Amino acid sequence: MKIPEYAAPETLAEALQMKKERGADARVIAGGTDLILRMQEKVLSPSMLIDLRRISIDAIVIAGDEMRLGAFVSMSQLLESADTARLFPALAAACKEFAGPPIRNRGTLGGNIVNASPAADLVPPLIAYDATIVLSCAGGDRVLPLVEFFVGPGQSVITADEILTEIRLPVMPPLSAATFIKLGQRRSMAIAQVNLTTRLSVDDSGVASEVRVALGAVAPVPMRALAAEQVVAGKALSEELLVAAAQKAREEVTPISDVRASRAYRLEMTEVLVRRALLATWDELGRKETHG
Amino acid sequence: MAETQIEFNLNGKQHRVSAEATQTLLYLLRDKLELTGTKDGCSSGDCGACVVMLDGRPVNSCMVLAPQAENSSVVTIEGLAKDGELHPVQRAFSETWAFQCGFCTPGMLVSCYALLESNDNPTREEILTAIAGNFCRCTGYQGVVKAVQQAAAELRAANGSEVVLDE
Repeated sequence: MKIPEYAAPETLAEALQMKKERGADARVIAGGTDLILRMQEKVLSPSMLIDLRRISIDAIVIAGDEMRLGAFVSMSQLLESADTARLFPALAAACKEFAGPPIRNRGTLGGNIVNASPAADLVPPLIAYDATIVLSCAGGDRVLPLVEFFVGPGQSVITADEILTEIRLPVMPPLSAATFIKLGQRRSMAIAQVNLTTRLSVDDSGVASEVRVALGAVAPVPMRALAAEQVVAGKALSEELLVAAAQKAREEVTPISDVRASRAYRLEMTEVLVRRALLATWDELGRKETHG
Repeated sequence: MAETQIEFNLNGKQHRVSAEATQTLLYLLRDKLELTGTKDGCSSGDCGACVVMLDGRPVNSCMVLAPQAENSSVVTIEGLAKDGELHPVQRAFSETWAFQCGFCTPGMLVSCYALLESNDNPTREEILTAIAGNFCRCTGYQGVVKAVQQAAAELRAANGSEVVLDE
C-alpha cells in the first residue's frame, strides 16, 4: 500500500478545504470497512486520507417533519435508535441483516451510500422512504434525492471537492408501511443477490397515494421500479394489483450474472420478492388500519 | 511519509506507539506491541478472528487504521482476565469445549464478552447474532452457545439477578 498523508480535522470546514485543495486523490474515511479493504487490494491508492471522526456528523435527530442522520452514523447506532425503529422500520431491518456486529459497529450510513455499490443494503430502504442527501463543499451545500446520486457501479454524481454529510428522511404519511427483504447466500456477512424495499402509503379511502419499489443488486445502480409503482399508484389495493406490479418489476430490472447469482435467478427472484414484499407491506397496512 | 505517534489505552494501560497511516490496529497489536492473542485470519473484515473491543464495542481490528484508534480504549483477549482470574466466558469456553483448533477463539471470546457486558441473559438467537461475524471452521457454534449460556448464568448468580421461578 502506498502510504498516504493522514488528517483528522476538527471541523467540517477544514475537511472541506482539504477536499477542495486535494480533490479526488484525497479520500474521506469514515468507518473504513470498505475503503481499507480497497486500499489493501490496491484498487485505491489515495495520496491523503481525511478522517471524519472528530467532526460531529454522527447524530440522529428529528427536526420538524423529517429525520436527519449524520453521514457518520454507524449501522449499530441506527439499529439502537428507537426513532429509526418506529419511523423507518425497513431501514432498521436492513441494518439488522448488514454483515455482523463488528462491521456494523464501524460501517457508516454515509459510507454505504458513497461507495455506490449496486448491492448496498441500506440504499433500497432509504430510496423507498424518499431520502434526500446533503453534499457539502467549501462553496456550500446541495441537496438531492438519493435515487439521483448513483451513476454506475462505484460511480456517483459526487464531485472531487464534496463530502456527503447528511441524509434526510421525511416522516411518512400516517397510513404507511414498508418491507425490506434481502436475499443472500447466508443470513449474515453476505453481499445481497437481490435486496429491496417496498413501501405503500394509503389515504383515508384506502387508495394508494404513494408506492415505492426500490431494488438493489439487479441493475448497475440501486433503482426504483417506476412502472411497477405505476401499476398500483392511485388505485385501491388488491392482491391482483400487487401481483401484477411484481411482474412489471421483473421487466424493469437489468441484472448481470456474477459470482453471487445468475441473471436468470435474479430476474425470477425480483418478481418473487417484490410480490412477497408488497403483500407483506399490504398486510402490515391492514394491521395499522385496524389498530389505528 | 513518516510514521505518526498514536496514543491509546490498551487493556487498561496507556500506550504510545508509532505507525504508518495505512497500518492497521491489528498490526499494531500483534507486531508492534507483541500481543499475538488477537489473530489475523482474512485481513478483510470477514472472519472475525481479529475482533477486539474498541471504545466498548467489538470491531474487526484488521479494518481499523492505526490513526483511527488514536485516543481510543482497546481491550484484547489478553485483557479479559482480571487479576489472573479468567473471565467467566473464558472459563466456560474451556469447560464446555467451545473450540477445537482455537484460531477463531480470541475473536469469538471478545464478541461473546461484548454481548455479556450488555446482556447477562441472552437468548440463543441473541448469542447467534452476537457471533454472526465470527467464523469457526472446525467445530461449529453449538459449544459456543452453551458456553455463553453457562457464563451468563454464572454472571447472573454473581450479580444476584438469578431469575427465581415460582413453585
